[in-house]
Amino acid sequence: MRLHKDTDGTMLLLVPEGILRLNDTAAETLALVDGERSVDAIVDALGARYAVPRAELGRDVEDLIERLTLRGYLTS
Amino acid sequence: MTAPRPNSLLCELTYRCNLQCPYCYNPLDLQSYRQELTTAEWKRVLDEAVGMGVVQAGFSGGEPTLRDDLPELIAHASKAGLYTNLITQGTFLDDAKLDALLGAGLDHIQISIQAPTEELADRIAGTHVHAKKEDAIDRVARRDVALTLNCVLHRGNHDQIGEVIAFAERHGITKLELANVQFYGWAYRNRAGLLPTRAQVEHALEVVAEARERLAGKMRIAYVLPDYFGGRPKPCMNGWGQAFLTVTPDGRVLPCPAAAGIKTLTFDRVQDRPLGEIWESSDAFVAYRGTAWMPEPCRSCDRKEIDWGGCRCQAFLLTGDAGKTDPTCELSPEHETVIAALGVESDTPLVPRRMKSLV
Repeated sequence: MRLHKDTDGTMLLLVPEGILRLNDTAAETLALVDGERSVDAIVDALGARYAVPRAELGRDVEDLIERLTLRGYLTS
Repeated sequence: MTAPRPNSLLCELTYRCNLQCPYCYNPLDLQSYRQELTTAEWKRVLDEAVGMGVVQAGFSGGEPTLRDDLPELIAHASKAGLYTNLITQGTFLDDAKLDALLGAGLDHIQISIQAPTEELADRIAGTHVHAKKEDAIDRVARRDVALTLNCVLHRGNHDQIGEVIAFAERHGITKLELANVQFYGWAYRNRAGLLPTRAQVEHALEVVAEARERLAGKMRIAYVLPDYFGGRPKPCMNGWGQAFLTVTPDGRVLPCPAAAGIKTLTFDRVQDRPLGEIWESSDAFVAYRGTAWMPEPCRSCDRKEIDWGGCRCQAFLLTGDAGKTDPTCELSPEHETVIAALGVESDTPLVPRRMKSLV
């Protein structure tokens, strides 16, 4: 998969023969997924940017990662 | 009407192929496509597509790896920011070719098999290729690239669907496409011998449902009902001229890969007009874009912007008029002609796909 900045600034996730339009937080989260960072580290990095309780942020990140893993776009 | 923005371009680089699958959707008059676009012309097509907002590029055919400039074209597309998909039958994917393609930035490879076992697969392909394909699948699976396994289903292999899934499991496939044959080109010519029976389709649905449950999280399995079996038509290409465009080996620009079969339309070529202009205002793209062209029952249907009237190519093949409701829709007044075809159970020998013209 590949992140792509669209002409209107929206981030797109390009996957085999498919295109997913990302909202800002999903785009920011995926920009932090590099194969090295742990989920905890990703949540920490986002926590430094947003005034959102860590537990809530953690749930959102895990949910996003789970959905993309189920579709086969991410592997653990 | 303003044209929507396209997001996917399919480059059919060549119609040459070493296989003779009778279900190929390529046109029957393959000879008339022998004058292929040059490398420079394809690069210009890719650049123009990026300028129009396209983000996905598919490289297909025929067999696209028969073009020696494939790695160069993929590198060009990849550098321009396109996500690149290669649709191949895999018989030429040796390590050197893979190195070149992956070095060029290729993102995704789809390899097709004809059947799960060598004897049947080679019989369908008309040549000994299954073992080579199996090697290619393993070779690609070891690399860092997305891989989809595809098997086109028809009456002659539909009953092996469970074995196809087992084959995919054995090779560590995570995405499997069980693609029912679509009746265009050579497949339409061979329709009587390819159409699956209703019992086969019902059996397949059960096998797929069981496998999806068993393999959840490991393998995603796509199985789409064959044409003629659903109550409503497929939303072909998500609408004519809405998101997809195809360029044929000789430069014709089509709203769908099968559209050249519509003999009442003329398709402009990339050698003659800019791609963006063809997309926005050429006669062929404007003809069935949107909903204004629709007859009843589509015009007043609440699914008109979901199904888009179904498939224009199918409407043409089955009724002689591309502007009619797709007869696969149960609401179409022509639906009976399709139902009649379902009764076909002939043992008509299949005509193998050959470069030599049939028409």
